[in-house]
Amino acid sequence: TVMQVSVINTVDTSHEDMIHDAQMDYYGTRLATCSSDRTVKIFDVRNGGQILVADLRGHEGPVWQVAWAHPMYGNILASCSYDRKVIVWKEENGSWDKMYEYTGHESSMNSVCWGPYDFGLILACGSSDGAISLLTFTGEQQWDVKKISNAHTIGCNAVSWAPAVVPGSLVDQPSGQKPNYVKRFVSGGCDNLVKLWKEEDGQWKEDQKLEAHSDWVRDVGWAPSIGLPTSTIASCSQDGRVFIWTCEDPTGNTWTPKLLHKFVDVVWHVSWSITGNILAVSGGDNKVTLWKESMDGQWACISDVSKGQGAVSSITDTQQSEQ
Amino acid sequence: MEKMSRVSTALGGGGGAVSGRTMFCHLDAPANAISVCRDASQVVVAGRNIFKIYALEDEQFVEKLNLRVGRKPSLNFSCADVMWHQMEENLLATAATNGAVVTWNLGKPSRNKQDQLFTEHKRTVNKVCFHPSEVYMLLSGSQDGFMKCFDLRKKESVSTFSGQSESVRDVQFSMKEYFTFAASFENGNVQLWDIRRPDRYERMFTAHNGPVFCCDWHPDDRGWLATGGRDKMVKVWDMSTTRAKEIHCVQTIASVARVKWRPERKWHLATCSMMVDHNIYVWDVRRPFIPFATFEEHKDVTTGIAWRHQHDPHFLLSGSKDSTLYQHMFKDASRPVDKANPEGLCFGLFGDLAFAAKESLISSDANRKPYPGGDRRYPIFFFKKPDLTEQFAHVSSALSVFETGLESGRMDWFSQTARLYLLSGKPFAELCDHNAKVAKELNRPQVSTTWTMVRIMFSDPANPNLSAKLGTLPLMNSFSMKDMGACPDMGACPDMGACPADRGKEGRSDAAHLEPGTSHISNNDDNEETEGSDGQAEYMFGDAELDDDDLYSVEHDNPAEDQEYTLPQEAFPLRHEILDNPSAPEPLQQDKAESPHVSGGEAEATCLTPIESCSLISASQPLYTAHLPAGFFCPVVRDMLRYYAEQGDVQMAVSVLIVLGERIRKEIDDLTQEHWYTSYIDLLQRFELWNVSNEVIKLSTCGAITCLNQTSTTLHVNCSNCKRPMSNRGWVCDRCHQCASVCAVCHHVVKGLFVWCQGCSHGGHLEHMMHWLKSSPHCPAGCGHLCEYT
Repeated sequence: TVMQVSVINTVDTSHEDMIHDAQMDYYGTRLATCSSDRTVKIFDVRNGGQILVADLRGHEGPVWQVAWAHPMYGNILASCSYDRKVIVWKEENGSWDKMYEYTGHESSMNSVCWGPYDFGLILACGSSDGAISLLTFTGEQQWDVKKISNAHTIGCNAVSWAPAVVPGSLVDQPSGQKPNYVKRFVSGGCDNLVKLWKEEDGQWKEDQKLEAHSDWVRDVGWAPSIGLPTSTIASCSQDGRVFIWTCEDPTGNTWTPKLLHKFVDVVWHVSWSITGNILAVSGGDNKVTLWKESMDGQWACISDVSKGQGAVSSITDTQQSEQ
Repeated sequence: MEKMSRVSTALGGGGGAVSGRTMFCHLDAPANAISVCRDASQVVVAGRNIFKIYALEDEQFVEKLNLRVGRKPSLNFSCADVMWHQMEENLLATAATNGAVVTWNLGKPSRNKQDQLFTEHKRTVNKVCFHPSEVYMLLSGSQDGFMKCFDLRKKESVSTFSGQSESVRDVQFSMKEYFTFAASFENGNVQLWDIRRPDRYERMFTAHNGPVFCCDWHPDDRGWLATGGRDKMVKVWDMSTTRAKEIHCVQTIASVARVKWRPERKWHLATCSMMVDHNIYVWDVRRPFIPFATFEEHKDVTTGIAWRHQHDPHFLLSGSKDSTLYQHMFKDASRPVDKANPEGLCFGLFGDLAFAAKESLISSDANRKPYPGGDRRYPIFFFKKPDLTEQFAHVSSALSVFETGLESGRMDWFSQTARLYLLSGKPFAELCDHNAKVAKELNRPQVSTTWTMVRIMFSDPANPNLSAKLGTLPLMNSFSMKDMGACPDMGACPDMGACPADRGKEGRSDAAHLEPGTSHISNNDDNEETEGSDGQAEYMFGDAELDDDDLYSVEHDNPAEDQEYTLPQEAFPLRHEILDNPSAPEPLQQDKAESPHVSGGEAEATCLTPIESCSLISASQPLYTAHLPAGFFCPVVRDMLRYYAEQGDVQMAVSVLIVLGERIRKEIDDLTQEHWYTSYIDLLQRFELWNVSNEVIKLSTCGAITCLNQTSTTLHVNCSNCKRPMSNRGWVCDRCHQCASVCAVCHHVVKGLFVWCQGCSHGGHLEHMMHWLKSSPHCPAGCGHLCEYT
């Protein structure tokens, strides 16, 4: 099948330099972008519109990444920058202000990611100094900071949280008591490694070290587990390869990599669809490809989006989803 | 000018020989400043406790001379700044922290090389600067606010310039204008002076907010001056016009202590910071946001930077408070842009994709050849392109939102399906048919077929009417759907008996509401199919009747009252009683009559995969001839649900699960069900489908899910009698012992939708209040307030 991919909206961001990240919020109505020009911008993109609703200035260097918190905590956006800072922005009464500024690292802050809402307001931040910080909002403008030093030698490039999964059923939980979630996230770094981290007794520990890439890991994405029994992680690297890591072992100790594809160029990003069954991959050739796992467990490219073009060539769909 | 060019040529001759690598050496003490001799072969390092000359060899620094001599070196050796003369290779000048300006002659035979000593400044001298072409002319700038010009052939300064602008932080002779020098001040000013006119400055302007720590004239462009300040900015000024014009501004992350234009690169300059940041940055002033290159070797503040040779852009020397001296090779610099992600990618909620990409990459895509293998760490624009700096400087990104034509990728179907599906309130077969129709209309044939198949598999095969119809055609087409929502008079409806009993208790109250509508349909249409299900339902009812008392006592906490004041007054169905036990009440045993009849054709069972369901329908004639054991299809359906869930269509899994209810519930372990439910509910809430989400929660049989609705919103209210805050529980106010939320019209406690006036706090049943206020503008409670219902 030919998959039509078409531009529905070209957003005029007015950023003065390169854009490094673009993130849609929980309800898909707002788009946050960040750029080398040190600004973060928020656009209302409902109904194909593109209304600039906020221009957040506060960073003193290129802003690498932004992340939306779950709306149950309000309209909260985190940004991280080359200026070594992480800023948490909050919208109150229509205006965006700094809610928190974190300056606990010695080098560029490369990645931020909010944990699932079940964990509370918790932010993972990866830095070029190799450390990862976990910032937990404890109320009253207080943030608890935990730092994993030397998580990745030379630097951490990406962090992504695991969906909240409860060991065992909720049924036995006493009413009103918070279930005992296991907090986990994945990180990728300049040591070519993908690492899994797990909180045990309030301490963050390295859970797994996944080796397959031969160059810097650029992005990692833990798939949402919508109806899926397995844990799935996608990682991409400077080496052009994208791996899908799966773990069917309930103890979480056995992860198997499957090579999704070897691209000819750097692969910068992986992004899962909200149901976790389609993976978008963007590479140095400025193309986005969409991938889906077929019945026999193979990953197939189902679409191919070139930037700057409208509808695009596509690759034969090996598995017809609905036809 | 003439002299200048001669010098350049001479240097140009020897300049090509510069070679080396990134290297460093330890100093005995922190450095404050460094300076290179004109042939780039030696460097002098000066500091409070250090004053040494090192030779720059290919592989290492070699200490050549220690200028600090004597047992107890005088304060004249404590250097804030140092400069090596660019024409006279034996001549050095230092600025001492005690205010002395000292010159040194390396040609002296004695150990002490001190030549001249000028002690005219009263405070620390921050800067010394030789004239680029006038051999004996030296300029100094001091904390005392004065600048002095010395003729090295004389014992005293030849002129003194008073900036009248606080302390002088930097003085720099213009490279091109013989008589001009620039001075920067702590109050943010920059002044331009003519060396012949010490009475007043030629020009002054405010360059920075706060101290201007440094300035540097562009080596080639006449009139370009770079300044750096505590305000973390580097600014480039065009001084050739009558008013100094800011032409570039770079913001760094810390106060700028030094700025030095890079040789042979028109737009590049190097900076280092006074505190916090230990790195050295090289900026392309046209791209003020991100450094072109950084040198990150120093562990403490970098205090001095110097390009090794004035025509070689590849070597940078630096001294630091960490007591090291470095030679940086440009090729070893780290390039933040290379680490920077040039693309942003995000999957949106609706299956749309936001993708931002660097535009220069895009435009060059067409004529770009795939470059050969090798290290791909560095993006293309640093290789192979003739003008590297142009590539760096002009960068922007385009951001587009894409829509994927991918059925399973786009999420439109999700919210539509969620809204249109019927999960309860009708006989099982009708629900399936309805949902099949919904799926079909949304162009999801596979899902549609699955619904039809589910209906066939689980419908009562013992009913001949139903069976007769079964194999012939997809039944949903012969079924006309009526508006399901409109059935206001359910309380008085005599058709309660038609209530389908094939669901768990949770669906029961909804079923009661909607049932009359469906029975009308079946009567009017005289459709064999609906008759069939009708018959089935009636049959079921006989069995379910026993539970009715139970049901009511659970659903209405005060049956007597509810009967007296009939339910239709409530605007929405009452919720079931909240139990303290968070796990759901066990579903009533209605299914026992049902499940034994579940059966199907043995022959078909083998091909009952969802995809091949079409063949099932056409070949299902013998379906009811063989009598299969209960739950024969269950494993197949279970696998099918799993399949859908794994495909990301958890909606289908949950919907079928709810519609099938007890028929399938036990086949799937609780954890999986719970996971499906939570996933689906999360999705529904993301799509802001609150009603559907609530319905799913209500219909779910998982304890963990149903208790989601019990953690509801708390509304703190005041008693409408005594106006005091109500206690947490109950309808009765603790203080005045009156029922608080009483309807002002009918004087009974409101347990459904309660509407009240924000002015007088009286209110009651929504419908009562609406009705009352249609006829009277006054509050029904008689308080006299003019309530308004909008």
